[in-house]
Amino acid sequence: MSEGALAKQDPVLAVDDLQKSFGGLAATDHATFGVERGTITGLIGPNGAGKSTLFNLISGFYEPDGGTVEVNGTDVTGMEPYEVADYGLIRTFQTPRKLEGMTVREAMLVGPREQPGESFRRLFTSPGTVAESESANLAEAERILAEFEIDHLATQPATDISGGQMKLVELARAMLAEPEVLLLDEPVAGVNPTLAKKLKTQIRRLNEQGTTFLLIEHDMEFVMDLADPIVVLDQGHVLTEGTPEGVRNDDRVIDAYLGGGA
Amino acid sequence: MSALTDPRGAVEDLTRPEGWVLGVSAAFLLFLLAALLTGALGPTYFLFLVGLAGMYALLSFGLNSQWGFAGLINFSVAAFFGVGAYGAALFTASGSPLVELFEGVPLLPSLLGLPIVGLVVGLAVAFVLAILIGIPTLRLRADYLAIASLGLAEVVRLIVLNERWLTNGSAGVRGIPGFFAGWPVLGTFPEAMPGLRLEVIPGSPVLLETAFWQALLNVLLVLAFAGGVYFVLRRAHRSPWGRVLRTIRSDEDLARALGKDTYSFKMQSFVLGSLIMALAGVFYTHLNLYVGPGDLDPITTFYAWVAVILGGSGSNRGALFGGIVIVTIREGTRFLNDVALPIDPAPLRLLLIGVVIIAVMRYRPQGVLPPQRELIWPSAVDGGGAPDSPDSGVREQKGGGGDE
Repeated sequence: MSEGALAKQDPVLAVDDLQKSFGGLAATDHATFGVERGTITGLIGPNGAGKSTLFNLISGFYEPDGGTVEVNGTDVTGMEPYEVADYGLIRTFQTPRKLEGMTVREAMLVGPREQPGESFRRLFTSPGTVAESESANLAEAERILAEFEIDHLATQPATDISGGQMKLVELARAMLAEPEVLLLDEPVAGVNPTLAKKLKTQIRRLNEQGTTFLLIEHDMEFVMDLADPIVVLDQGHVLTEGTPEGVRNDDRVIDAYLGGGA
Repeated sequence: MSALTDPRGAVEDLTRPEGWVLGVSAAFLLFLLAALLTGALGPTYFLFLVGLAGMYALLSFGLNSQWGFAGLINFSVAAFFGVGAYGAALFTASGSPLVELFEGVPLLPSLLGLPIVGLVVGLAVAFVLAILIGIPTLRLRADYLAIASLGLAEVVRLIVLNERWLTNGSAGVRGIPGFFAGWPVLGTFPEAMPGLRLEVIPGSPVLLETAFWQALLNVLLVLAFAGGVYFVLRRAHRSPWGRVLRTIRSDEDLARALGKDTYSFKMQSFVLGSLIMALAGVFYTHLNLYVGPGDLDPITTFYAWVAVILGGSGSNRGALFGGIVIVTIREGTRFLNDVALPIDPAPLRLLLIGVVIIAVMRYRPQGVLPPQRELIWPSAVDGGGAPDSPDSGVREQKGGGGDE
């Protein structure tokens, strides 16, 4: 089944025997896999294979029926999403989330974790610290926007930019939270080829700088080019894991996608 | 911004609706001034209205910090208002049932009659109530808080109506002193001031007597309350704290995914708003000098909602504006009695508010004075080497100008 899944040298994320059912449907059926530190790991599978459910389980949005999730060696099973984030795991969503009434850089500033200004009391007891960290975060946000080559959007309303640009902003904002492992849910769905290429470049660059990625993607060309290894999910369990080449030539994977193999 | 150093520039900086509001407000002030000078509007009554407007502004501030900031739907504005009002009334009124209840108990009777104790008790009870209702509902979707708060408002009202041993039931609480009673100087200020007789227009003198000075003190009190609350909310609104609340309002899951403890933030927003509402209640008690169960009717909640929607949700000055408009409509319609109308004008009040709401929703769904500038801690934007403020604002075609 999942040969070598747990035999990772240095897993930043380890999923063990995870289960979740909705009524009679086992959306996640004893899934076990790991994400090696420093990799871009792809998560693919046909529609309904349970990829998004798995993301929700890992990031704490769903409570698993069984099994464990470990981030950096810490058991985070059943924790709230914000607690999981504290251990260095951040996720994005399939559909870009819009922040009404905010500019792009304002929306970016939601990213940094543990800002002193997020404590109501400290707004009044130590406004100096708040201002300092706000300045630093703003500079950092603008630096990252520049790296993503979207700094011209900084003061645009966050709701007025294109879907592809929103995906870029989401990725940029997630980076402000300084994740060790970043879960991307379909980063290029509905994004035009030029922007998709840009996203790919960015993900690769961030990976080289030390961020580990786990990404769901339906665009095979995109994921095969970017990710290694690739985990294939089918009907809630891990079908196989391997290099893009290996996965592409695996009959079981082809069967799963074509609905055969029964 | 720099309205004092550069008045012309400050005026040119205003957006159209801001200019419009400013113009109408100026005209309205002139009208009031004329009414005052001619004696058509008694100065004491006028100050009472100002106090009432301040009270509604406080209620709107409270609701704005819940619904406008974090998107919490609270239909129990009247309950928190009532808790503040009754807390203050029961601890200060000479006719309070607590006088009898506390009799013979050591220490307790000495707490009665002090407005500051009433203030603290009113706020403390509101604090506890907000947490109790927040714990089960704030982890759930927004709708649950809406329904639970609707129920809470009725529960509080029925308790006040029926628990006569504590609240005097439908008779209400009388014999409430002014807020400054017993204070050094301020306590005797209204009596100490001489009666003044101003005659600006011959034949219609304006009398300023003890009641006037009492009302003036109330206005100063509400200005202090509202000013303090406005200062706190303004700072909170443009802070990272406020930004998390606005993220929750737009998309709570996003805030959670980015590592924000949304339950805690919502609780803070809810408690803060409830305390402000209770503060409005405390002030009302000392303004009106009588509270009864009727003050807890849902209409108070309704008025606060109208004020926030009208002013623009999320906007503190919008809430202030909305509060003033509500009082103008509520009290202004009384004067329609003087004008010969074929129908009784009292029911017109609610009709008029309904019409105003429909008009705002149709032509300006974001409210009259929505928040404008992007909300980043001011010194970070000014000094951090950041680019200038946006050339095209977020919600308007103009950035800057207003306070937020």
